Amino acid sequence: MSLDFLVVLAQWPMLLKGLALTVLLTAIAAPVGSGLGIACAWARLHGPSWLRVLVGSYVELIRNTPFIIQLFFIFFGLPALGVKLSAETASILAMVLNLGAYACEIVRAGIESTPPGQIEAAKSLALNRWQIFFRVVLPPSLARVWPALVSQIIIVMLGSAVCGQISTEEISYAANLISSRTFRSMESYILVTLVYLGFAVLLRQTLNWAGPRFIFGR
Amino acid sequence: MTTTPKTIPLVDIRGLRKRYGTNEVLKGIDLQIERREVVCIIGKSGSGKSTLLRCINGLEEFQEGALTVHGQPLKIHDPHAMRELRQNVGMIFQSFNLFPHLTVGQNVMLAPMLVKALPKPEARQRAEKLLARVGLAEKFDYRPDQLSGGQQQRVAIARALAMDPEVLLCDEVTSALDPELVGEVLQVVEDLAGQGMTLVLVTHEMNFARKVSDRVVFMHQGKVHEMGPPEALFSRPQTPELQQFLSAL
Amino acid sequence: MVDFSLWDIVRNLLLALRWTVALSLIAFVGGGLVGLALLVARLSKLPGAAPAVALYVQIFQGTPLLMQLFLTYFGLSMLGIDTSALFAASVCLTLYASAYFTEIWRGCVLSIPRGQWEAASSLAMNFREQLRYIILPQATRMAIAPTVGFLIQIIKGTALASVIGFVEITKAGQMIANATYEPFLVYGCVGLMYFALCFPLSVWSRRLERKLNPLR
Repeated sequence: MSLDFLVVLAQWPMLLKGLALTVLLTAIAAPVGSGLGIACAWARLHGPSWLRVLVGSYVELIRNTPFIIQLFFIFFGLPALGVKLSAETASILAMVLNLGAYACEIVRAGIESTPPGQIEAAKSLALNRWQIFFRVVLPPSLARVWPALVSQIIIVMLGSAVCGQISTEEISYAANLISSRTFRSMESYILVTLVYLGFAVLLRQTLNWAGPRFIFGR
Repeated sequence: MTTTPKTIPLVDIRGLRKRYGTNEVLKGIDLQIERREVVCIIGKSGSGKSTLLRCINGLEEFQEGALTVHGQPLKIHDPHAMRELRQNVGMIFQSFNLFPHLTVGQNVMLAPMLVKALPKPEARQRAEKLLARVGLAEKFDYRPDQLSGGQQQRVAIARALAMDPEVLLCDEVTSALDPELVGEVLQVVEDLAGQGMTLVLVTHEMNFARKVSDRVVFMHQGKVHEMGPPEALFSRPQTPELQQFLSAL
Repeated sequence: MVDFSLWDIVRNLLLALRWTVALSLIAFVGGGLVGLALLVARLSKLPGAAPAVALYVQIFQGTPLLMQLFLTYFGLSMLGIDTSALFAASVCLTLYASAYFTEIWRGCVLSIPRGQWEAASSLAMNFREQLRYIILPQATRMAIAPTVGFLIQIIKGTALASVIGFVEITKAGQMIANATYEPFLVYGCVGLMYFALCFPLSVWSRRLERKLNPLR
């Protein structure tokens, strides 16, 4: 039983290409999914009752089914309705919808924990509903739930490994390819797993730096 | 003798009744507040004083009666009307309620920029002037949690003043402060009174009420029980309830 | 061209669903036992236990489950163990679950006030007695809701076992979808079946949370 990592490392262009796509998928899905989550949280708290039911159903459906099935449904199932998507688009869509549902609940908890005095003060200053939501309620809410939201983004990033199953050429797909080419399965998967681990750490640190800086000012 | 038309009171409350479920907390309030008047509302907790104050700017809804501010009746379900009203009626809260994610200066600048569409440089100038007025010019870029309670409350006053209100409602603004910080806030309020601001204060600070107000209103069990100039009310209370209240202080 | 009725599809899926449930239970029970052992090791301050378990948790929580499955599958065969997909998936999901369970339960134990430990030790109880009679009963109460909640994650995780060839409901769905050319219908049914398994657990977990943790 000998492990030969060099053979696998020789395939670094393929690994890099795969990593780039993983990063890209995450870079698009994270903000769009979070934005969807914020919109859904608002809808669940302040929307008309039909919208609340719709959003609630969406959230429960996503949270109680596996991501791989959501992905398969979008990529394989939607063409039956005439909606044919590329593997990358299907992956991004599935990741966005998945993150959106979890982010909805996370952000909703943050919004609900807003001290009522904040809203009263904002009302007394004659701010309208949208101004109160975006300028007074949302930033501190995001600050409160930031660790949970970041964790969820990382979960979705790790879950994107499954997208290789529909031939999206992200890094787990690269691992499969390299494994079958070099016959060095363990080395390929160990290496790619370490890359995921490293990216997860980097992503968490980046988001923890970016959040206070750009989104909620502290 | 020419009859000068009676000036319309700035705040005109008639027959106001408010219930929480089956519990009636305001049992028919009649109160008129004139421009430039300083009115202090005192009473035991549960007498309805804060509730009455919060009715004036629509944070509480009342079931019966009429409330008019600057000639406009209060229409709580009309967001547009409420926005208009709240530009004329400012409020300072017991727990300050500064926005934690904004600096002191940003707290003061926010509403004028968003509601009055004031351009940023002008909003900043106004904020700087108001913070200087409350003695906190150098704290412009600080965050609220870096300030003491008294300083935070003074920022809250500057924030409310930034909207140029005609009347300022003060809801027990020193009750949450450590005793040594109370004075700095009361000084600011006293200055405002001296400058002609119309003030309605719910307060436990009797010495302050005595010194600064034109009129004191004693509330008891949801009604205006006694009302009059501070000297009269404090030295010659008429009703046993007020006598008991004052003696327990 | 063979025509497949909806019932054919559903019947085959339901047969495969048994394997989803079986694998979920294996991982839940196995993961629970391993997780508990790891927790006790960590709490009893065995030398080196805390950092080792922390690393263990970090690895399972910071890497994709899919990679963990591949590594287990190929790793086991590299060690000379002739393994079926079920065995590999069971081992992997058990370890995966144990990492999450040990973290969840550690959180519950940590949230018990220090005073409880101190009172118990003042009564001359040793560590095992403190844990067994004072700490764990209280922590267990708090742990029920999130543990039920994680069972949902396990059930969803079994879907990935399909990738290493285990025929549970996702794999069956793939095979049936390919045979019937009805991916919309088939994956829709698969989704609904997962939903039927998981949603009641979600509701129950939330109810447990409200009942047992009213302070939260």
